[in-house]
Amino acid sequence: MCSTHLSNVLPLMTPAASLQHLKVPNLLKPPELPKLHDVDFQLAGAILARDRKATARLVEMHADAVHRYVWRRLHPRVEMVDDLVQESFVAAWRALKTYSGDASLQTWLVSIARFKVEDYYRRTLGGALTRIESEVDLSTIPDDLDLDVSFDEGRRCERVSAVLAMLPYEYAVALRWRYWEGRSAREMAAFNGRTEKAVERLLARARQQFKEQWLDAERRIHV
Amino acid sequence: MFDDLWRRAAAAEDSSEDAPDSSSRLKSRILSMLISLEQDEGPLRILRESRDLGEKLCVFEHAVAMLPSDDLQSRNPCSVCHARLLGEMVEKAPIFWPGCPYAKYCGH
Repeated sequence: MCSTHLSNVLPLMTPAASLQHLKVPNLLKPPELPKLHDVDFQLAGAILARDRKATARLVEMHADAVHRYVWRRLHPRVEMVDDLVQESFVAAWRALKTYSGDASLQTWLVSIARFKVEDYYRRTLGGALTRIESEVDLSTIPDDLDLDVSFDEGRRCERVSAVLAMLPYEYAVALRWRYWEGRSAREMAAFNGRTEKAVERLLARARQQFKEQWLDAERRIHV
Repeated sequence: MFDDLWRRAAAAEDSSEDAPDSSSRLKSRILSMLISLEQDEGPLRILRESRDLGEKLCVFEHAVAMLPSDDLQSRNPCSVCHARLLGEMVEKAPIFWPGCPYAKYCGH
């Protein structure tokens, strides 16, 4: 009985080398898939090679989008917007080695800007949360926001923006952080190093104020 | 109900056109900052290489790219250029150098 094994025929080689010898594609190594955002990935590579022209293109292509995102999150106090945008670009540049090309550079930059915005929120709410934590009564304000929102979508969103602009800025920030950035009270508390109860109470007050301003606006319209 | 109201308002806000674009001064400042950080890391890509890769150079960079010294080509001539200063200080500054990023940020 002749039992010829492959290893008897081929010289001693590594498995990958054996496959190459047989002109069989190397199945052990996964094929290089094209990056989802290949152009962005190449741009990132050029920036990592310290190509100033590529860096200039990054700013040209994405500064507007990052600026608009940060502006909307800080409005109406927009004096810090430019600083946060610049910080976002510097942070992105420092982290560029980690950019994989799976998301577009713009999405990636905006996600970095989001961290900067949240850090700004944390600093803004620090004082309010300290005050709330020092209060004796930490019972939660009931959340009975039975607002009339039966009018059309466009007017409703306009009204939200208008009411938001009338609120004390700390309340507006708390509401944006909770509802626009989709953070839970627990996450906000962890970010601030505060108790969840304090954050919940701050949010409850913000909602209450929001409701009062909303109803005020309604009364002004009907008068 | 509050969640829903806010979710819709956030979506509308994100797609609204009222948020302004970045100023040309901010773009200029960001670029200067990033190039300065790149220089701290090591020499910049030499200008001849950038040009060969299809990047547009300004008239001063073209002059530098003709020099034989790689050391000179890896430096940043923008650091001593009035166009950079104008770009950082004046919104939509009157800079008209083709191939200059600061001029491009100003819409020229």
